[in-house]
Formats: sequence, C-alpha cells, structure tokens
Amino acid sequence: MNTNVTAFIKKMGPLIGLILLFIIISSLNSSFLEFSNLKNLLRQVSINAIIAFGMTFVILTGGIDLSVGSMLALASALMADFIVGGMDPIAAIFAAGGIGIILGGINGLVIAYGKVAPFIATLATMTIYRGATLVFTDGNPISGLTQSEAFHSFGQGNLLGLPVPAITMFVSFLILWFILQKTSLGRRTYAVGGSEKVSFIAGININRIKIFAYALTGFLSALAGAIITSRLNSAQPTAGMGYELDAIAAVVLGGTSLAGGKGHIVGTLIGALIIGTLNNGLNILDVSSFYQQVVKGIVILLAVLADRKKA
Amino acid sequence: MEITMSGIAKAFGTNQVLRDVDICLKAGRVHALMGENGAGKSTLMNILVGIHKADAGTIAIDGRETTFHSAREAELNGVAFIHQELNIWPNLTLLENLYLMRPKKTRFGMIDKEAMLKEATKMCEDMHIELPLQKEAGECSVGQQQMTEILRILMLDAKVVIMDEPTAALTERETETLFTMMKKLKERGVAIVYISHRMEEVFSECDDITVMRDGHSIITCPIGDISVDEVVKAMVGRSIDEFYPERTTIPGDTVLSVENLSPIGHFEPISFNLRKGEILGVSGLMGAGRTEIMRAIFGVDAHNGGTITLHGKELHLKKPEDAIKAGIAFITEDRKAEGLILDFSIASNITLPNLGHLCPSNIMHREKMLSFSQDLSDRLGVKTQSVHLPVSSLSGGNQQKVVIAKWIGLSPSIIIMDEPTRGIDIGAKRDIYDLMNELTNQGVSIIMVSSELPEILGMSDRVMVIHEGGVAGILNRADATAESIMTLATGGQ
Amino acid sequence: MKKLFTLLAVALAIVVMVAGCGSNSNSGNAEKKGGTIGLSISTLNNPFFVSIKKGVEDEAAKLGMKVKIVDAQNDPAKQANDISDLLEGGVSLLIVNPVDSAAISTSVEAANKKNIPVITLDRSTDKGTVVAHIASDNVKGGEMAADLIVKKLGEKAKVAELEGIPGASATRERGEGFHKVADQKLTVLTKQSADFDRTKGLNVASNMLQANPDIQAIFAQNDEMALGAIQAAKSAGKTIFIVGFDGTEDGQKAVQDGALGATIAQQPELMGKIAVDTASKVLKGEKVDAKIPVDLKVVTK
Repeated sequence: MNTNVTAFIKKMGPLIGLILLFIIISSLNSSFLEFSNLKNLLRQVSINAIIAFGMTFVILTGGIDLSVGSMLALASALMADFIVGGMDPIAAIFAAGGIGIILGGINGLVIAYGKVAPFIATLATMTIYRGATLVFTDGNPISGLTQSEAFHSFGQGNLLGLPVPAITMFVSFLILWFILQKTSLGRRTYAVGGSEKVSFIAGININRIKIFAYALTGFLSALAGAIITSRLNSAQPTAGMGYELDAIAAVVLGGTSLAGGKGHIVGTLIGALIIGTLNNGLNILDVSSFYQQVVKGIVILLAVLADRKKA
Repeated sequence: MEITMSGIAKAFGTNQVLRDVDICLKAGRVHALMGENGAGKSTLMNILVGIHKADAGTIAIDGRETTFHSAREAELNGVAFIHQELNIWPNLTLLENLYLMRPKKTRFGMIDKEAMLKEATKMCEDMHIELPLQKEAGECSVGQQQMTEILRILMLDAKVVIMDEPTAALTERETETLFTMMKKLKERGVAIVYISHRMEEVFSECDDITVMRDGHSIITCPIGDISVDEVVKAMVGRSIDEFYPERTTIPGDTVLSVENLSPIGHFEPISFNLRKGEILGVSGLMGAGRTEIMRAIFGVDAHNGGTITLHGKELHLKKPEDAIKAGIAFITEDRKAEGLILDFSIASNITLPNLGHLCPSNIMHREKMLSFSQDLSDRLGVKTQSVHLPVSSLSGGNQQKVVIAKWIGLSPSIIIMDEPTRGIDIGAKRDIYDLMNELTNQGVSIIMVSSELPEILGMSDRVMVIHEGGVAGILNRADATAESIMTLATGGQ
Repeated sequence: MKKLFTLLAVALAIVVMVAGCGSNSNSGNAEKKGGTIGLSISTLNNPFFVSIKKGVEDEAAKLGMKVKIVDAQNDPAKQANDISDLLEGGVSLLIVNPVDSAAISTSVEAANKKNIPVITLDRSTDKGTVVAHIASDNVKGGEMAADLIVKKLGEKAKVAELEGIPGASATRERGEGFHKVADQKLTVLTKQSADFDRTKGLNVASNMLQANPDIQAIFAQNDEMALGAIQAAKSAGKTIFIVGFDGTEDGQKAVQDGALGATIAQQPELMGKIAVDTASKVLKGEKVDAKIPVDLKVVTK
C-alpha cells in the first residue's frame, strides 16, 4: 500500500475507532446522538481528558504520573476549604491551580534532581497526597461551599450552548497543542523522551523540561479537581481514586508510546473521547456494569494491538 | 562448507537495494566485502543469515538450496553474523553472555558456573587472548565485547563467520589479536566474510574480494588480482587521487587553553592548548581516557577541578548547555546513543541544539527551521529524499553527517570530534575531511579524537597522545609518524 | 491494514454481543406498563449493595417494570455521570443509592429540574427534593451494637472499633451512634480504619490485639471486617465478643456458627423491594411517606 495512505490511516486510527463506536452505539440507541446527550458526553469526558493532557506531556518525556488522582483530591479539598473560609470562589480556583503546580512541581523535583524513577516517585506521592487529603479533611467531605453562580457554572453550567467543562477542556487542548507542536518547549519535551542522553548533550536542560511536565500535570489535575468540586458542590476526600489509570488509558489509546518521545495530544483527546463514549454509550445501551468493565478492557487491548499491527 | 549466493535481489519499498548479486564463500578463506555505505553489503549478509528475505535469487550451501528463517536458525547451522552493534547484554558478565543461550547445568539443573568458567578460560588460552570473564560486559571495552562474541560463535562450531567492520572500534593491539584469531579460524576451515572500509587490512588479511556499488556486485576475484586503486575505483565509480585533502590553514593564536583539568577517574591533570583554525589530533590506545577528557571539557561528566580558558575568558562549564553557550560543539563517539534521536526526522535532529537561537521567543517557525535544516543537510551532502524522513532511515555515513550538521548549525568556534569517521564509507569520509578543512579556513578550531592512525596523520596540525589518563606528549605535524605516536601511546619515551 | 479492520470488526462484534446479552432489561413489554426506573447504585463490589440490587430487580420483575442499573464504583464523579446518562436515556423515576450525600446533591437537583421524581436509598442527599428516603437508621444501629456489648460484657468493658472507609457516610453514622453509647458506658481502647474490607480487617484487628491484649470486644462497622476480626482473634488464640453490621449472608452464617457474637442486620433486599414498591406508587400518583425506615434487627445465635 502507498506509504502515505498507511501513515495517514495510522495517524487517523484512533479517530476511525471513535467514529465506528459512534455509529454502532447510535444504531443501537438513537437517543445517543441527541444534542443533549452529546453535551452530556462532553461534560463527562472533560475531567479525564484534562488530566490525560497533562499525562501526555509526562509520558512523552518517558515518565508516568500515578499521583494525578491524589493531587486532584488534595487541591479540591484545599480549594473547598478556602471557599468555606470566605475566599472568592473564582480566586479559589486559581489558588487550586497554584497548589496543583506546587504538588506536581514536587513530583518533578524528586524525579529530576532526586533521580527517582517516575513510577516510584509518583507512587509515593500518590499515597502521601491522598493521606494528606484525609488528614486535612479528617476523612469528611467538605460541603456547603457557596451559592456563587459563577463557581457553580464552572462545573455545571453552559456557555454558548456548550458545557463549561467542555469549553475548559477545548481551551486547554488548544493551548497545550500549541505548546507541544509550535514551541521549542514542546520540541524539547519530545526530545527528552526520545533520548535523554542526546538531549543532554544537545544542551537541553532536561531537569527543567521534566519539572515543567509534572507541574503542568499537577495544574491540570487541580483544574479537573475544581470542575469536580463545582459539579458535586463538595470536595470529596476520596475523589479521583483510580483516575491515573483512565488518564493513562486515554493517552495510550491515542497512540502515544509509553516509552516516550512519540505521540500526539490530538490522540489523547480522541482516546479520552473513546473512553467517555464507552462509559456513556454502554450506560445508554443499558449494559450491565460488570460487562462494561470487560468491554472497556477489551477495547483498550484491541486498540493497542491494532497499533502494533500497523507498525 | 561452501556457500553460493546467486541472482539475489531485494527492495525495501520502492528502494531497490540489491540487484542480481552473486557471491561465493569458500571454506578456509577470508572474503572481503567492500563498498560504500548503502551499497548493499549488510543487506546481502542479512539475507544470508535469514534476517531479511530475498525477493529473488538462490542460496546454496554445499550445492543444496537452503533458506534460513531466522538468525538463530542460521547460527545453529553454522552461519553466524557478528554485527557492528554487538549482541551483548551490558548488565551481564562476559561469561554469562557467552553461555546465555545454552548454559551449562549441574546434575540438579542449577547453572554450573565453575564448568563454564573452566571451559571459557581454556578457549581464551587456545586463542591467546585475555578476557575479564567475570566483569560486566558494559564495563568492558568494545574490543573485549567483540572477542566475547567471536568466542561465543566459535563455541557453536561456526562454519561461516560474517564480521561487519570488526576493527572499527578496536585499538591497534586488539586489531592484531583479532587477526590472530582469524588465522586460527581459517586453519579450522571456517569461511570468513570480512566487511571493512580499511584498505590495508583487506589487502593484508583477505584472500578474495567482492566490491559492491549501488546494489550490484562489481568485481569478485582473488585479492592478488587487483590493486588498491582498482578497488577504490570500483567502490566509488571514480578514482581518488589523494585520500586526505591538503591542509592549507595556518593556525593562529591560542583560543582555548585547558590547564590541570582532572576528569573523574584515574587521570593525571590534563593541560593543552588549541590555536585558531587548528586541527588537534588526539590519539591513544582504547581505554586511555581520550573520550573521558573530552566529555569533561564539554561538561557531560563532572570533573575535579582545573581551568578552561576560551578567548582569554575562564569558563565554568557544568553542563553541555554551558559549553554550547560558550561556542563549543561536541560530536560524540556513539552517534546512535548520544548523537541522534533515531525516531526524529533529519530536520528535527538538526534543529535540536539550535532551538535556542532559531526560536528566541520559543515559538517555532516552520519555514525558518525547515530552510535552516535543509541548508545544512545540503551543505553536508546528506543523501535523502526529504529532511522529514527519520534519521533511522539513513546509512551510517549520512547519519554522521546529520550529527555534524546539527553542531555546525551553532557556528561554534571550537568543535570536538570524537571518532568522526567511525564506521562510514570512503566517500562520506572524504566529504567530512573537506568540511574540516573548510571550517578551519573559516577560523574554527577542531579537536579530533581518532583511533585511525592514518586519519590522525593525514588531518592533524598537531597530535596529542594520551597514555593511561595523562598527556604522554604533543607532537608537531612534522614530528608525527606512526612510530612516534605509537611509542608515546604505549608508554615509551 | 486488513488486520486492523479485522480487529475492529471483532471489537464491534463484542460490543454488540455484550449489548445484547449483557443488557439489564428483564421484560420486553415493560415500557407499556410502568415506565422505566433508573437505579444508580454506589458500588456492586459489596454483597450488601448487590442484595439491594437483587431486591430491586426481583420486585420490578414481579410488577412488570423495567429497571436500568448503573454502578458508580464508589466514585461520586462517576455517579454524577451515570445519573446524567440515565436522565438522558429517559427514565421516569430515579432511585439513587448515593456514594456521598453532599456530592449527590447536584445530581438530585438536576433530576428535580427535569421533574423526574427521586427516591434515595440507604444514604440521603444534602440538597434537592426527594419524594422518599428509604434507609436503615445507621446511627441507631451503632447504638444498638454498643448496647449489645454493654449487655453482654457489662459497663466499662474494653472494646476496639474497626472503622469503614474514612469519610464514607456509613462510617460516620455508625461510628457516631456507637460512640453515643460507648463513650459513656464502655472503654474504647482503640479505633482504626479497615476500609470495610475483610483482609484489611484481619490485619488491623491483629495489630490491635497485639497492642492491646486485653480487648474484650470488637465492634466492626460491617460484617466483612468482622469476619476478618474473627480470624485475627482465632490466630491470636483469644475469645472476643465481635459485633458486625449489615447482616450479610456470610455474617449471619458466622453468627449461627457462634464465631460472630452478633450482627446488626440491615435488610437490603427488603430495602430494594420497598424502593420499587414506593416507586410504583409514585408513578401511579399515590402519596408516599417522605421517610421510610427499614427495620434493623439484632441477629444473635
């Protein structure tokens, strides 16, 4: 086959999968394609997608971040506490973002300067941040946050007919896509994952790139946390448990290599949409929740296998 | 065993790599396989051992048509290929590497290290070589790793051994040991295919020769029937009158001086200086510490003090980033692990160290970057259809040109070249020598580390010889001969 | 390329197959009769909630109603997604077993906005309007457990407490009820979380017994942890009066065997049944009580 066509299909693979998924689900239940459900779908996808965007950067550098769920919970809890303490809710969202940058930055520092393997480092901080969340909240959810309309709409509202979290997702996507594809920072992110040695000798400050990637992931996790907190109008100490796996799944479904250096944030967006579509579609099709997990697993496996076959 | 390959053809996609190639390997003879990189030598041998499948043609072993389906199958049938990238597990000891695929076991099924050690030691004695069998392979020299690989193949009772550039990474002494081993193999009736770019070796060690160009076998004959000039002409399709270009640059004032630099490890303080437009050759035996000194200067590895002064200003180089800012470039010895990101395109590799000055505002301009890398690629004569192709698609020589291109792009005042022509063909070598002359004419100074004495002698204005972690001496061009260099390199006076 | 398409085709086949055979719908002509009920359950990794689900399914089958069931896997954010899916899918009534009372509020309010009646089950919602709340009284159950220990071992008996998942409402409420009595009449030597998990219950109880050899009784906030504690007591060679909570099948059996002192039994199947009965009434326009308590009973040998 013509190499251009093959390359095109390889790049479009995840998208083709998503479209097929849409066709199947909508042919089984027409209410799936209703505009209100698509909005619903986007709202649901946004949280995993935003976290997965950060995870894409980390994985591109050849790392992994298991602590995203815990960062999400800790940032949410602190944000909720600020709000209850009287801080302006919108200011509190920014504060949460700052907290996320600090938490993620700690991950980055430990990995870059401590030379700890990312898996181990973030496994440790995952536990530390979760524990800190439980200590801080005493295990209780923080509720009764605010009546602020602006804050509520951050997770629940619509703007120009689209759910606000989905808009947040698309805006983050555009900014991150630009960073990754159009700036030297993005190119260096790929280079560090492609070969640390080559990048180091080529004068790239590897530590700075890594810290950036982890801090960015911390920020995005906190952003997702703010959305969840607004959506549930409370901060849960157990929020975000297991989210690292969904985020990694989205990145991998999107065709990014876990070895680093190869991949695309567009793929991650599609990967997150595939996972979200499965969750939403299987619920709409009224598939038993036990089978849903089996199906999700199979789809991830097949997607990765198909990727191998094409290579 | 006699192997006849006839009418072999092979294409990768639209790229016809081999067309109608014939070659005949005979027991007890060393058969040289020569040709520029990309001529199809490796592909031909990969077809023989079953790594690639031929599109057309036949392989006959002792008259019987045979096709191997994997390198392992070929090895078990006595046909072994020692690649340039050695098949060595760096975290295992040499002994474990030797016996990885067929460990000796005690009666209880446990690994019998004693027995393996005894057998391997005996083999080393038979071959008159010394190997630190219990040392991790990653800590051994390339030469020692290669010996291990040859020993491993001998244990399999190989009938045909293919060696791809075996001496490229060896010191003179190790090369001698290798030739002794080859003679012993010949005595045992082993057929050897010897792929090399080194003319002297081919003419002194081989019995037959096949020269390939553009996927054709141009000449096949006994070595006695052909001259060096004829071989070169067959390889490049033109004759090369003089291999090393004349040095025309007259070196100016001292630009770089290194004083009492102490790299980490067993080193004496290193002092030398480099003049404007000069090529300083750095020679020495493998393991003498040449590369380590260069890495310390460039800030890849830390050092224990000393001063580096460039243009009269003292530098504090903690990492490569600092060295690059000071105008120093470093073409590393190991281009695959340290020079190139193989999955990246040619353009992305070339622009990598240049991102800082190409995009001062951090925003990448596609056209600017493309024309930058295209210009450099053209200037270096990288043979490729497009700079968007991954560097992994290029031959060794062209990959090396990309490495050089990415550093030239920085317009450095000092270039450190560690083995700049290792494993690349004659044409590419000549291109690189010409470029070195051009650069020095423009006032760039070059430090060239090389294991090839002819290259050192042919290109250097002065030669610094390293012996066991110290500067054994610095020779002027007029005083530098193979003898004077080797004397210093081996610790003589 | 062919292989890729084959793989995709297989994937599709599986999805379609699963959609067919794994579907929860249990009666084809349901739509005509009562309309569809949505059930959002907090988790199906715990036998208690599986029993609730069974109670709902059985009763719905009997009444000829269709139920769509979604499992939040103990994640409040997933529950919010599940419920918005159910609302999109056109259910006419929602039975919700919240993961968390505070977090469920926004979902309940969303249903209110769509005029879909909501019944909460086992846990309540902090905000929003529900037509009925069906639950065992967890606080009351905690008190019952403490009273039982006082009755059995006398005042000032030394007890340990195995708590559930930190922050879960059952943990808070059962603990609250237990301490209401225990802080006055018993000596609580130690309390630790074992996440409602049997294995963790075993480990945590072992550690407690090691640190406090004079423990006389253990109150475990669910049967799973109580069953773990039984094993811990056994391997420590101690006779300890253990009280569980929930009355799961395993728990009741352990009581019959004499290994478990008692369990405060909820009646999850009954809760499920009552929920569907209530739903049916609501859909027919009949009036229902705003709070429907389901009896707890002390199960002893």
